[in-house]
Amino acid sequence: MKVTVTHTAQIARETWRLTFTGSFPYDSVKPGQFVMIRIGSGMEHVLRRPISIAAVSKDCLTIVFRVVGTGTKWLSERNPGDGLDVLGPLGKGFPLPHARVRTLIVGGGIGAPPLYLLAERVRHSVERLDIVLGFRTAADCFWAEGFAGLGNLALATDDGSLGTQGTVIDAIKALPAEGPEPSPNLKQWDYVYACGPLPMLRAVKRHFAGRSVRGYVSLEQRMACGVGACYGCVCQSSDKSAAKRICADGPVFDWNEVAL
Amino acid sequence: MNDIANAPDLSAEIAGLRLRNPVMPASGCFGFGREYAVYYPLNRLGAVVTKAVTLRPRFGNPTPRVTETGAGMLNAIGLANPGVEHVVAHELPWLAEQDVPVIVNVAGETKDEYVEVAGIISGSGLAAAVELNVSCPNVKAGGISFGTDPGILQDLVEAVRRVCTVPLFVKLSPNVTDIRRIALAAQAGGADGLTLINTLIGMQIDIHRRRPVLANTVGGLSGPAIKPVAVRMVYEVAKVVDIPVIGMGGICSGIDAIEFIMAGAGAVMVGTANFTNPMACPQTIAEIEQFMLEHGIKSLAEIRGCIT
Repeated sequence: MKVTVTHTAQIARETWRLTFTGSFPYDSVKPGQFVMIRIGSGMEHVLRRPISIAAVSKDCLTIVFRVVGTGTKWLSERNPGDGLDVLGPLGKGFPLPHARVRTLIVGGGIGAPPLYLLAERVRHSVERLDIVLGFRTAADCFWAEGFAGLGNLALATDDGSLGTQGTVIDAIKALPAEGPEPSPNLKQWDYVYACGPLPMLRAVKRHFAGRSVRGYVSLEQRMACGVGACYGCVCQSSDKSAAKRICADGPVFDWNEVAL
Repeated sequence: MNDIANAPDLSAEIAGLRLRNPVMPASGCFGFGREYAVYYPLNRLGAVVTKAVTLRPRFGNPTPRVTETGAGMLNAIGLANPGVEHVVAHELPWLAEQDVPVIVNVAGETKDEYVEVAGIISGSGLAAAVELNVSCPNVKAGGISFGTDPGILQDLVEAVRRVCTVPLFVKLSPNVTDIRRIALAAQAGGADGLTLINTLIGMQIDIHRRRPVLANTVGGLSGPAIKPVAVRMVYEVAKVVDIPVIGMGGICSGIDAIEFIMAGAGAVMVGTANFTNPMACPQTIAEIEQFMLEHGIKSLAEIRGCIT
């Protein structure tokens, strides 16, 4: 689909926000889904870049991404009025809670953006919403105010420049509801959603081991087709019996369903 | 009425297969058709070519399996597929309903595996043709690829030929010293046609982590970067064999496809371009038609191999 950039801005260290408008099925977007964006107009870049959807309205969509290579660099250089070729929305999003449940959202670094859309969608239907975001340092932190407007926000930074010093696990333990030595019988939350680096996802799952929570993680992997045809982006099912395509079977998975 | 009378004829006949147009997806870039069928009806294509099918299900290589390179990409998927039993039961019947010829790509680790899979596929009645993927390491010959030794290849093709009752294509690897010798060996073994080229072996290093980007270290290079090599090889092979040649390697447009046809290809395969643009195949077909209209070319026969 051909869309048009309306806004771009740098919002943290190496981190950019971009909004587009134009012909796109905005109202079909589910939190956790992503778009595949074409880079340039020639054939220098043959692979689209997969970027999670951070926010969407009836006529525009916002992505937040880190500049890590030539494609994201090109994206960060777009200006209002520039055209973009996007595919999407793609992938299976976060299963939303049905009843009035207690929800914890955990984000690490550039894993946070899709959790913003998730938080927006669940904040009115859940009994309570706790949001924990971890960044390396204050300069990497973005959208804290926005997240704080959606739920109870706690931050963690590796160097302590913002929020708790340490990891998101330290910040979770520092939450009044949780406490530093949570017992396996403790059930503070019914649903836990996590998106961020793989070590963080493993740590979050481990923290809740033995507790009856429903846990969902969003994974990423280098992609080629983005639609499930090429099997480039797989992870293993937890019983090692099947390949799961992160683009089409995910990116969101029940954390018991996949090998992290 | 004039438009219909002057409409170019894009049809192609390859080894007995009647194709409505000369464009089909390259194996591995189209799954078993379901994902791209969401974007357009598969019967717009000349044929569908499936992912490689092996005897047993294969998970494939560890990730990362793909990475972009300059005007191209590397892949080391590792022949991930659900195995021939699942494919015959669950994928081919669905494909058979899509009103398009289905070419099934077959891979193996041993000659016996190739023969068994090819026999099952051709016996299923659900494949219009078999494409032999010979870029696999031959575990019995110490891992050397079947497609890099003329003697081993001819022997393999002969064995498959005995059990394959549908047209048999051999997909040639470009990672050889002289592709003409390999092509002639496949022809001598009984191939009905040749498809070329498969990927070139390449590598990319992450200089910050100081290690290869792909978990498999090396992968196959595809995309526009390889087109000149592919065109050269199609040209060379078409000159020495009598059987039809299907060309591929970096085709992103009708213009690219025309190059291959002029080099001697009777049809073309479009692979990596599907990732950039899911409509790559239908657009390539439309652009071929447009080129023929603009230049008063009434059928592909007028330009096939016209530069040799």
